Amino acid sequence: MGGFFSIFNEDLLVATIRLSTPITLAAVGATVCERAGIVNIAMEGIMIIGAFFAVVVAYYTGNPWLGLLGGVVAGALFSMIHAVATITFHLDHVVSGAVLNILSFGVVRYLMVIIYGHPGTTEPIAKGLAEYKFAVPLLSKIPVIGPAFFNQTPIVYLSFLTVIFFLIFLKKTKTGLHVRAAGEHPLALETIGVSVVKMRYLAVLVSGITSGLAGAYLSIENSVSFTEGMSNGRGFIALAANISGGWTAIGSWLASLFFGFADALQIRFQIFKVLPIPAEFFIIFPYVATVLVVAGLVRRSRPPKAVGMDFMIEREED
Amino acid sequence: MQKAKLKPIILAGVFLLGAVGLILYIVSLFYGLFFILAAVALYFLYRWLSTDKETVIVEIRKFLKNLTIPVIGISAAIVIGAIIMLISGYDPIKAYRALLYGGFVKNWHISILNATPLIFTGLSVAFAFKAGLFNIGAEGQYYVGAMVATFLGIYLGMPPIFTIPIIFLMSGLVAAAYNYFPALLKVKTGAHEVITTMMFAHIARYLSSVFIRWMGGDSAGTHPYVTNPILDANWLPRFKGLFPDTNYRLHTGILIGIAVAIFVNYILTKTKFGYEIRAVGHNPQAARAQGISIGKNIFRALLFAGFLAGLAGVNQVLGLDHKLFENLSAGYGWNGIAVALLAANNPIGVIFTAILWGALDAGGQYMARTVQISNSIVEIIKGIILFLIVARYIYSWVGNRIKRRKQLASEGAK
Repeated sequence: MGGFFSIFNEDLLVATIRLSTPITLAAVGATVCERAGIVNIAMEGIMIIGAFFAVVVAYYTGNPWLGLLGGVVAGALFSMIHAVATITFHLDHVVSGAVLNILSFGVVRYLMVIIYGHPGTTEPIAKGLAEYKFAVPLLSKIPVIGPAFFNQTPIVYLSFLTVIFFLIFLKKTKTGLHVRAAGEHPLALETIGVSVVKMRYLAVLVSGITSGLAGAYLSIENSVSFTEGMSNGRGFIALAANISGGWTAIGSWLASLFFGFADALQIRFQIFKVLPIPAEFFIIFPYVATVLVVAGLVRRSRPPKAVGMDFMIEREED
Repeated sequence: MQKAKLKPIILAGVFLLGAVGLILYIVSLFYGLFFILAAVALYFLYRWLSTDKETVIVEIRKFLKNLTIPVIGISAAIVIGAIIMLISGYDPIKAYRALLYGGFVKNWHISILNATPLIFTGLSVAFAFKAGLFNIGAEGQYYVGAMVATFLGIYLGMPPIFTIPIIFLMSGLVAAAYNYFPALLKVKTGAHEVITTMMFAHIARYLSSVFIRWMGGDSAGTHPYVTNPILDANWLPRFKGLFPDTNYRLHTGILIGIAVAIFVNYILTKTKFGYEIRAVGHNPQAARAQGISIGKNIFRALLFAGFLAGLAGVNQVLGLDHKLFENLSAGYGWNGIAVALLAANNPIGVIFTAILWGALDAGGQYMARTVQISNSIVEIIKGIILFLIVARYIYSWVGNRIKRRKQLASEGAK
């Protein structure tokens, strides 16, 4: 057991940040979305779509930045199906999300066969975003947290910015207030002349963008190719992170960090074989952690009042 | 008087025709379908005898109305699928001909084999839905059921008349127990079952790898692949023994599936248990006011859903594979959701939507083999069908638009 504590080092923190990045991005998207009253369980599928299109665009243009953009745009467009289905067509949010997840598996597999000629894993791209790793001067020299927070790859930094941006957006801006009102008391929002529908569309779009970005992270930054099923439940873990974080951007981020930590720990346990049991017992660790955290924290926080609820209003002028 | 005498005879005829048609269809005789249609017609005759003419006409109209959305949805999906195929350079007519021929005529038995586990997972999802719960992790319960079935199938050496029911029951119960934790967390802490059952599904998937390694899989590599086979005595009986023309793999699991679907329908519509489940799903506050415990019914619904999904695993192990494969992306859970949604959570409807899904898969494989069009197009068509049928509001939205336009036009004319 001498080697057991040796896994708790600086690298573990670096890995925690890396592995929590996709969860953070999607969780912040989930926060915005649920604050506006829309439950989005399609994030798993949006992530898959984002990851796939990021690789396809990067593969054909040779430019990973365009790949990133491709992933985000694809994720945003795909999320709009959820918005149309739930907001305009009043479909149950969870049902629509489940259907979109199913659709995303099919779309990706079909396009993969058309573009690459086989399902499974795509051809690797020439250059991933991981090559654009850069250290922030001075800050990256801080012991322990320096390398973890300030010597990272681009989307990791983007995820920090996303958290800060939406923290401010939800708390301090007028639009943020309107988004929150759409999920707390949509009728009140409508009476002051702000369209609930618009706010909800906006919120779903945000979750589509962040989930698409999370997908791009998985495929062109953390890896150089797309593999079917590579999101591996992260969209759902992000939902859990949002709930555990009490529907706030900062809370979502902290919960995501915890899940990233569980994942990082799990990988180290596997590699260093600290316990003589099958690797699968470690792999399930983040999933178990998710269940426990959600079960432990969900009671403390209060969901937005109108989350998952349909909003229908008869208008005169239409 | 005459009518009253005829009624039981006609009802018996409905069941007889239905059963004969079903079995004929299952053993790859296409004509079985006509028997089933005749059974439906006879059923309406029976209704006509038991009530009056007007109600029967209303019922028939309702039946046809229930069919319109699926028919429109499927046709629209076929058109969209054709457009996608045209864009990607395939011939849609060739593709659909192969798809239909493969799925419904040539490889009918494969459709049935595909459909059987989906009936169970579909019932599982549908049952939970009735209580307002979303059992998104049916795949996990499937794996648990399959693991228990494999274990018992290997070690339980008794006459099959005892072992097969025991295996079905035990595996289902363990799978139900696996859903105990999500149910407990839902009731005690309010943790949403979408997250907990999904996480438990991932856990079960990885545990199945451990199990396969333990039961004779490759212990060295990262993938254990497959367990030792179960005892021959524990195989589900196959149709081959009765109908020599049948494909040899076709097993009687489908009959169990249909029986379970009818049983679930009975529970939901005719028993107090089912009434309470539906009451909680329909309006929890009203149910509580009636003195129905919400927590208790959440437990019942999720445990029973787990039981049903577990049976899907048993069916695959005892009926088809006779061992447990490491198949990390089988998708029985997701397809079960699709099947349940398509059937609007009607247990009897689940039988048909599962067969449709199974036939699309089988037809897709046949299409890929014969006309070299990737069967993944089927996945897209399935997704679009699902979306167009689930989003029922689209039709009323379009209908309202048309109505409004007509109204405006007539007002303009005035």
